[in-house]
Amino acid sequence: MTELLVKNANVILLWVGAICTLGLYSVLYKENRLYRIFEHLFLGLATGYLVAQTWTDVLLPKWWKPMWDEGRWYFIFIGVFGSFYYFIFSQKHSWISRIIIGFFLGVASGQAFQAYANDYWPQIPSSFKPVIPHPETQITVAGKVTKIAELTTAGAINNLIFMVIVFCVMMYFFFSFEQKNPVIKNSAKLGRWMMMFTFGAIFGATIMARLALLIDRIDYLLNEFGTAAFGQGSGATTVFGILLVLMAIVLYLALKKDKESPDEGV
Amino acid sequence: MNILRLLQTVDRRVIYVLLMLSVTIPFFLPIRLPMKVSPATQAFYNAVEELKPGDFVLLSVDWEAGTRGENGPQTEAVVTHLMRKKCRFAMLSFQPQGPKISQLIVDRLAKEYGYRDGIDWVNWGYRVDAKNYLKGFVQDVPGVIKTTTKGEPVANLEVMKGIKTAKDINLIINVTPSNIYATYIQFVAGAKKIPMVVAPTSVIVPEVFNYLDSKQIVGMMPGLPGAGEYESLLGTNTKVTRFANSASFAHLLIIFFIILGNIAMVMERRQRAQSGGNA
Repeated sequence: MTELLVKNANVILLWVGAICTLGLYSVLYKENRLYRIFEHLFLGLATGYLVAQTWTDVLLPKWWKPMWDEGRWYFIFIGVFGSFYYFIFSQKHSWISRIIIGFFLGVASGQAFQAYANDYWPQIPSSFKPVIPHPETQITVAGKVTKIAELTTAGAINNLIFMVIVFCVMMYFFFSFEQKNPVIKNSAKLGRWMMMFTFGAIFGATIMARLALLIDRIDYLLNEFGTAAFGQGSGATTVFGILLVLMAIVLYLALKKDKESPDEGV
Repeated sequence: MNILRLLQTVDRRVIYVLLMLSVTIPFFLPIRLPMKVSPATQAFYNAVEELKPGDFVLLSVDWEAGTRGENGPQTEAVVTHLMRKKCRFAMLSFQPQGPKISQLIVDRLAKEYGYRDGIDWVNWGYRVDAKNYLKGFVQDVPGVIKTTTKGEPVANLEVMKGIKTAKDINLIINVTPSNIYATYIQFVAGAKKIPMVVAPTSVIVPEVFNYLDSKQIVGMMPGLPGAGEYESLLGTNTKVTRFANSASFAHLLIIFFIILGNIAMVMERRQRAQSGGNA
């Protein structure tokens, strides 16, 4: 039995993957127990994997082995200190957890300075862009020669649009005074429109990302699973046939229900 | 129910079925839609292309099975390029599944390009607490990494020859669906002036553009389309090209439904207005 399982491990894995994929997609028809089973299965697997990886890749080589095998007995205090977190579950002793939380809050606050400086400061000068076209030039400052790349008319227009948008969006976030002046009021309004465009772009990108995940799953079912389960030539076609049947059932049930209660829609 | 109302209340499962068909059918069609390489992907490609054989690259694979559809092809494209350029590279991840799932890709490509584990590349594995970890990492790479996924001390490996601090790294590549790239910019790439490129999922592409514009990163491979563009630069033709066809058809379907639903809504409002607003 074990030999059989080991021999066919790859095919079994692909079958399990296909069943799990279809089980999870069953939620597209409606919430159901099969979906719940697979959802919990995935959550459990991911959590278990996280615990195992944290032990094998982090705690074992960096804490347990040095403490146990290399004689660094004082590493025990790291474990004791870290376990303070778990006192958060005790009503009586939850104050102990605040010690370690406070410690890491301090560390994070200190790091935030460096993080902020390296993250945002370089973006401030890069927001100041030239808006007048010019050929490639060289400037010398304190004996150091710097080459400035050519700025074409198209590039200058691009920069101008960028500068106007930065200005308008910043205007929108001026809440310290009432925006009565028509210039400020209208530029803030334009800024709000620009932000709406950005949110639209982000939403569009999100759809694109989700579709990529669907496409990957379809590729898995048609090509990886299809080839392993039904052979190289006809595997993808067979799986496509199965998917068509499943889709037809979903459509039939959906439209049947729609006729019974016509007001239920999107 | 009139047609305008029907168009706005199409059962979501009908749309799902049409979407599924629009994604699946292109897999069987022999067409290949043209692919135009974006400046961001071209810059990413150039950054890898400029590396010399033996240069050391940190490949941070901070993704899990959930985003395999985008990050998988991105990792595959960039590893192929690194192997063609004969660069040394190390994989590191702050996501538990990252090292294992990426190793499957590297193992497959390593056979093709003759890459040897420990000599040409190494898997450092999964680590926690990116900020604190990277703070130490920049000062002493082998001292902080300590061991590989196989439990071998990294300091003894041939691939790690000459790698003492983060400054010895020639390029940082981050494949990610999260903002871990910002942590790399804050504590490694920005702090030590190490060139960095990012391969994000499509969701976070708009925010990564800020860092590209300010030159905090030198290139970006935007999601699945970026992976397709990168493949066209490499001259490889794997499944990503098929993926791009499916994505294009699905996008057309979504756009069609958005336009249809909005036309129906506008027309229905007009009808209501004409009939005295009673609806």
